[in-house]
Amino acid sequence: MTGPLATPPGPPDSHRSTDELRLVVARVLLIGVALSAALVLAGFVASLLVGWDGSLRGAAPGGAPTDVGALAEGLRNLRPQAIAQLGLLTLILTPMARVAASLILFAVERDRTYVIVSMIVLVILLTGLLVIR
Amino acid sequence: MTPGADLALFGISVLSGIIGALAGVGGGILVIPALTTIFGVDIHLAIGASIVSIIATSSGAAVAYVRDRLTNLRVGMFLEVATTTGAVGGALAAAVVAPQLLYVLLAAVLGLSILQQVSRLGEELPPEVVPSRAAAALRLASSYPDHRLRREVPYAARRVGLGFVMMLLAGFLSGLLGIGSGVLKVLAMDGVMRLPMKVSTATSNFMIGVTAAASAGIYLGRGDVDARLAAPVALGVLAGALLGSRILVRLRNQQVRLIFVPIMVVVALQMLARGLGLHVAFLG
Repeated sequence: MTGPLATPPGPPDSHRSTDELRLVVARVLLIGVALSAALVLAGFVASLLVGWDGSLRGAAPGGAPTDVGALAEGLRNLRPQAIAQLGLLTLILTPMARVAASLILFAVERDRTYVIVSMIVLVILLTGLLVIR
Repeated sequence: MTPGADLALFGISVLSGIIGALAGVGGGILVIPALTTIFGVDIHLAIGASIVSIIATSSGAAVAYVRDRLTNLRVGMFLEVATTTGAVGGALAAAVVAPQLLYVLLAAVLGLSILQQVSRLGEELPPEVVPSRAAAALRLASSYPDHRLRREVPYAARRVGLGFVMMLLAGFLSGLLGIGSGVLKVLAMDGVMRLPMKVSTATSNFMIGVTAAASAGIYLGRGDVDARLAAPVALGVLAGALLGSRILVRLRNQQVRLIFVPIMVVVALQMLARGLGLHVAFLG
């Protein structure tokens, strides 16, 4: 934003570490969102050309990929569904990447309280991803 | 899906993204009923698409909110300990707890909160808050630039413990019932901890992505995230969330509450209908 408030007079937490944290978190989110939007859009456009179950390389029709192997096969054959699915996976991983980036930044700043806080969140997220099935 | 249906779904998703970005809630309240009632989609696929829409709303709007200092990162990250713990606990408890009663209880909690929200309709900023010792230790106090009031607004947090417990509950319910629980998050930050309304919705928006991501793996593994549905939803919600995040900075806190209260009423009715086993169109 550009405007009279773009550089506010000394907010209480505007010391450098918080500002840097903000910029890094915003950048990680932007990269994740842009990358996933591009992939999902590419998959969607491809689906208009060859259908969701088709393949841009002319491979036999295939269904929705539900595991890593099927996703890799779909990507090799440029299947619209696999391309979009990779974009959705990127979207789902973006919040986790944001927590991981914060953890690194807090560690660099030696902010012990928030290193512990972000580590707990990250461990719980990974537990949810791996254990609960 | 036909191109026409795709376009309609995209439009609904844009709307859902705008509302979600403004009110700090996920897209579930709009996306799930729309998919099941208008498009006749299976509920599991609808919930899978809604998980995607929650994360898209969150990450899409948070880019701007974090940069513009509306999101309080420390409040968000600290309370995420509670919401993610609660979410995993809720997912584990799903096998042993009957959800009917919980829906009714949640509806009752929301019903009571409606009274509190209505009593605050004319309030632009919370009264000056003396930060509690926990809030000071966690450095939760901050300030945000209010473009509408044209000044920097300092604020502090109080009743951090109670807010934390409420976030545990919010996470537990989202893990158990598959709801985004953005409404409960806003109520914990605005109602209990007395953060300004815009900071509460922006920080809730920031947090719902992580809560949803905690359970997204489960839905992905089951094949509930179907790209054919989720692709137009994700694109529409992202566009809507980007748009919504440009609107929020221009609104007064009172106007944000005016948007939030009707959403809360709808969610309360949806939960009541589910708890009583009623199937009403658009109440899910």
